[in-house]
Amino acid sequence: MYKYVLKRLLMLIPVILGVSFLVFFIMSLAPGDPARTILGETAPIESVMALREELGLNDPVIVRYVNYMADLLHGDLGESYKTGQPVISEILSRFPATLTLAFWGMLFAVVLSIPIGIISATKQYSIMDRVSMVFALLGVATPNFWLGLMLIIGFSLNLKWFPSGGNDGWSSLVLPVITLGTGCMASITRITRSSMLEVIRQDYIRTAKAKGVNKKAVIYKHALKNALIPVVTVVGLQFGSLLGGAVLTESVFSWPGVGTFLVNSIKAQDTPAVLGCVIVFCICFSIVNLVVDILYAYIDPRIKSKYK
Amino acid sequence: MAKTTTVQKKRSMASEIWRRLRRDKLAMLGLAILVILALMAIFADVIADYDTKVITQNISNRLQEPSLEHWCGTDEFGRDIFARLVHGSRVSLVVGLVSVTISLVLGGTLGSIAGYYGGKVDNVIMRIMDIFLAVPSILLAMTIVAALGTSLFNVMLAIGISGIPGYARIIRASVMSIKDQEFVEASRAIGAKSPTTIFREILPNCLAPIIVQATLSVASAILSTASLSFIGLGVQPPDPEWGAMLSGGRNYLRDALHLTLFPGLAIVITILALNLLGDGLRDALDPRLKQ
Amino acid sequence: MKKTGKIVLACLLAAAMLSATACGGRSSSTKSSSGTHDTSADAIIKAGMSADISSLDPHDHNDVPSSYATRHIYSNLVRVNEENEVVGDLAESWEYVDDTTVKFKLKEGVQFSDGTPLTSEDVKFSLERQKESAKVGHLVSMIDNVEVVDDLNFIIHMNQPSNTLLTSLAHSGGAILCKSYTEKLEAEGKKIADAPMGSGPYTFVSWQAGSQLELKRNDNYFDKERAAKNGGIILKPITEETSRTIALENGELDLLLNVGTNDAQKIRDNENLALDEYQSSQVEMFVMNTQKAPFDNPLVRQAMNYAINKDDALIVAVNGEGEVVDTYLAPGAIGVQDTAVKYEYNPEKAKELLAEAGYANGFTFTTFLSGDKRARAATAIQANLQQIGVTMKIEQMESSTFYERTGNGEHDACMAGWVANAEPDNTYRPLFYSTNAGAGGNRAMYKNPEVDALIDDAVTNRDAAQVEEDYKEIQRIVSEDAIWTPLYSEKGLIARNKDLAGLEISSFNMHVLTGLHYEQ
Repeated sequence: MYKYVLKRLLMLIPVILGVSFLVFFIMSLAPGDPARTILGETAPIESVMALREELGLNDPVIVRYVNYMADLLHGDLGESYKTGQPVISEILSRFPATLTLAFWGMLFAVVLSIPIGIISATKQYSIMDRVSMVFALLGVATPNFWLGLMLIIGFSLNLKWFPSGGNDGWSSLVLPVITLGTGCMASITRITRSSMLEVIRQDYIRTAKAKGVNKKAVIYKHALKNALIPVVTVVGLQFGSLLGGAVLTESVFSWPGVGTFLVNSIKAQDTPAVLGCVIVFCICFSIVNLVVDILYAYIDPRIKSKYK
Repeated sequence: MAKTTTVQKKRSMASEIWRRLRRDKLAMLGLAILVILALMAIFADVIADYDTKVITQNISNRLQEPSLEHWCGTDEFGRDIFARLVHGSRVSLVVGLVSVTISLVLGGTLGSIAGYYGGKVDNVIMRIMDIFLAVPSILLAMTIVAALGTSLFNVMLAIGISGIPGYARIIRASVMSIKDQEFVEASRAIGAKSPTTIFREILPNCLAPIIVQATLSVASAILSTASLSFIGLGVQPPDPEWGAMLSGGRNYLRDALHLTLFPGLAIVITILALNLLGDGLRDALDPRLKQ
Repeated sequence: MKKTGKIVLACLLAAAMLSATACGGRSSSTKSSSGTHDTSADAIIKAGMSADISSLDPHDHNDVPSSYATRHIYSNLVRVNEENEVVGDLAESWEYVDDTTVKFKLKEGVQFSDGTPLTSEDVKFSLERQKESAKVGHLVSMIDNVEVVDDLNFIIHMNQPSNTLLTSLAHSGGAILCKSYTEKLEAEGKKIADAPMGSGPYTFVSWQAGSQLELKRNDNYFDKERAAKNGGIILKPITEETSRTIALENGELDLLLNVGTNDAQKIRDNENLALDEYQSSQVEMFVMNTQKAPFDNPLVRQAMNYAINKDDALIVAVNGEGEVVDTYLAPGAIGVQDTAVKYEYNPEKAKELLAEAGYANGFTFTTFLSGDKRARAATAIQANLQQIGVTMKIEQMESSTFYERTGNGEHDACMAGWVANAEPDNTYRPLFYSTNAGAGGNRAMYKNPEVDALIDDAVTNRDAAQVEEDYKEIQRIVSEDAIWTPLYSEKGLIARNKDLAGLEISSFNMHVLTGLHYEQ
């Protein structure tokens, strides 16, 4: 297993190389001049030309890529075109906020949605099952900005329970966590329910039930464990994407996370900033996916045999 | 001779599934809603005339609350929201369904290959998926606009491609947990080829997470069309589309909730119908429930 | 356990819906904000703005949010006062020796906030550093060199006569840095953006990107009359319009510098808040590509001017919070002249002109744009033009793409806007000068030697009356040529707690926050 983990971590190198090449290529393909975009429409052309020169944008793409990669090999992510600050410090100053929000949002979603999913499955077609389905569907069809603003209007403006935004103590965390968590809950609830249903119908569960084993014991000992694989997969995917920042939620709650930074950098065609973010996300995704793959092995020992 | 039996077998399988599906009242409700939505999209011009109802502005009558004349109220240009929802369904339903199909087919194929073969194949495919997962979808969309232009198909392509890694991971997980079970081994033992085994034995047994994921992501696909229309990909004003209607109402949330409420409900109803049908289909297709 | 969780969730959601709908329309009168404020001179004022600061180095940014920060940390030689006049800031006096030589004298006894005296050497250092800057260097490109006479006296030598020198020195890029401090910091490999230090009314405390900037009063500030009347300022970027307003309504902010146009009425209706409205220097317009058919024909362009109902655009784009304009500069801009031809909304006249131009059956064209406000205005225009048989297609794009494609002249027409600063030449030159066609800002691709000559004269002629005549003439010519349809100018809207006084408003987004304090 350790060997497997080590192998996967080594695989990060080609993955990062791949993603940085891909994104660099994409960024250079997109129309537009970063210098003009950063300076805005009222800047005179001399100023745009000067900034192009300063940023080295007059060099051919391939030269810029080679320079970038040379710096990257030394662990240097370069400086943002827009702010002139080192990309790594721009990201590090925002990542803790993103991590906090992603962690609590995911915890909120998992803690609520897995039990709801199990109840829905064991009491299929009950009122609870129906209600939870409708909530799940509302959750997934409600855009984050809508839910977020509604929560602000309700709990911040009218009830004065929580601040309307910012990252300032636990009370500022409540509304963004609910907003993010609700969106994630939907698919986790539905996946848990449907995987549980799937497993409950399998022969060995029926056998266990027929043998008169306590129903609860059957569900939690056997069924749940076997139903977990798709659930863990979805949780991993969603956690990964939350680590990449939740742009709309961040914007509604003025949450100083990486998502907004990334989108603004994409709009400003700030290649070093975009690449820096993407590389950091790539590492996050890869680690989350690695953890998920390891969890598979614990959940289902048959899968373990492949991780040598 | 052998051919006819297969055809007959197939036909009887389809009718068997349909027979089971028909018994499921909720699934039939879902199907009925979908049929109504489809009819609404097809006969949109009959329900509300495009030129006079959908795009004609009446600024003095803007942001009106729902009334008998305007069932869902009017938008910031004084246009009838109901008429726009009806016409918007043409784009939104197609975008939702087609883009999810793109992710499902491509992601599903890659995921099942990775899960079935494991080892090096799995490693290479999934690491490529990791790369795609890390590319921000808005960046991907912008590139597609730059490279391929701004057609509706390209919208679906952009949304579809960004969904591939997710489906690949979900389907790979299911395949991995199923491929060592007895019935799969049995199929291999009798000499079935790998693709046959995957499609005949494995995939039908991991439909549950696929159906759930697919029906839910139709909603997110429709929602993402809104952000794409701002970068020029997709429907441009004055044509209506649910996602754009929803995001266009964002700044009017406190004064005119109906601007966002009705497009939101339209999306909810669509995925509710898909979910009901999806749940029914999964039961109907479940191989273990065969007699 | 699990049941409880579900019930809690259901309740939360239900409560959210209920409380959200319950508020509809009524302004909450439950909170009483007056009487609870810190009325002392040490009160910390929290101000919200719409975008984040990009840099605290005055030579490394040219955007409004960052300038709120740097203009309060640093001082300039001169500043633009409330009457839009250039007055001395660090400079005691100045005098034109000839057209290209200006003698300056600094105020005595000015110190940086760390106690270092501010001298001519610092001025020379700062202006030379600015000239190197890609972002604000162009503003002082007319400066050839700075000659230091003694600690308080220096001479600016220009490479050509220029009327823009003083307004450029008042720009946030003209901030005076401390030479010894900056050199020491940069020698250590640090950046002044991380630890800015100047001679302004505030000193830097902390900055968390995306979150907040904190400044505290500089007790060492040289201008006692303009010294801060509060203990410090916290600037918070809040991008979402609705959230921004709610933060103010909640009392989380004392002042909101950018009020969303949809929220203006809510502020007016709220008895605890006050709304300051002012004419901004921003104008929005429908720009036609004068090099491309059919807009190469002035008759067609005039027809567009008659066919577009500016009121519609004003209402849908900014909820009517502004005024429609006929002038090519915003009513709040310096150098605006009322000589522009007025085209009243008249679709019949538009049709006649189209017929005269040979387009009796209309035509089809595409308008490029970026941003949702402009998309709304364009949608209104689209409906106007449909009335005269002209089909306008809209193509939205990301701003980077927009600049690139309109810069190349690929557009038939586009939606654009312009925010004028204190120097008219910074507006007239990019918008109308022939060499700026395309990427330079002249998106009408307008080329008229007569206008070029007038722009050049206005910037070098030392006769103020003649400069005014030049600008009048330019407005008349471009509006006759109808290269745009000027649409509207959005109001400047600043909201504050009604007890907060002392805000100095500027049409150029150079509001001064030093005077802010609570009154009982």
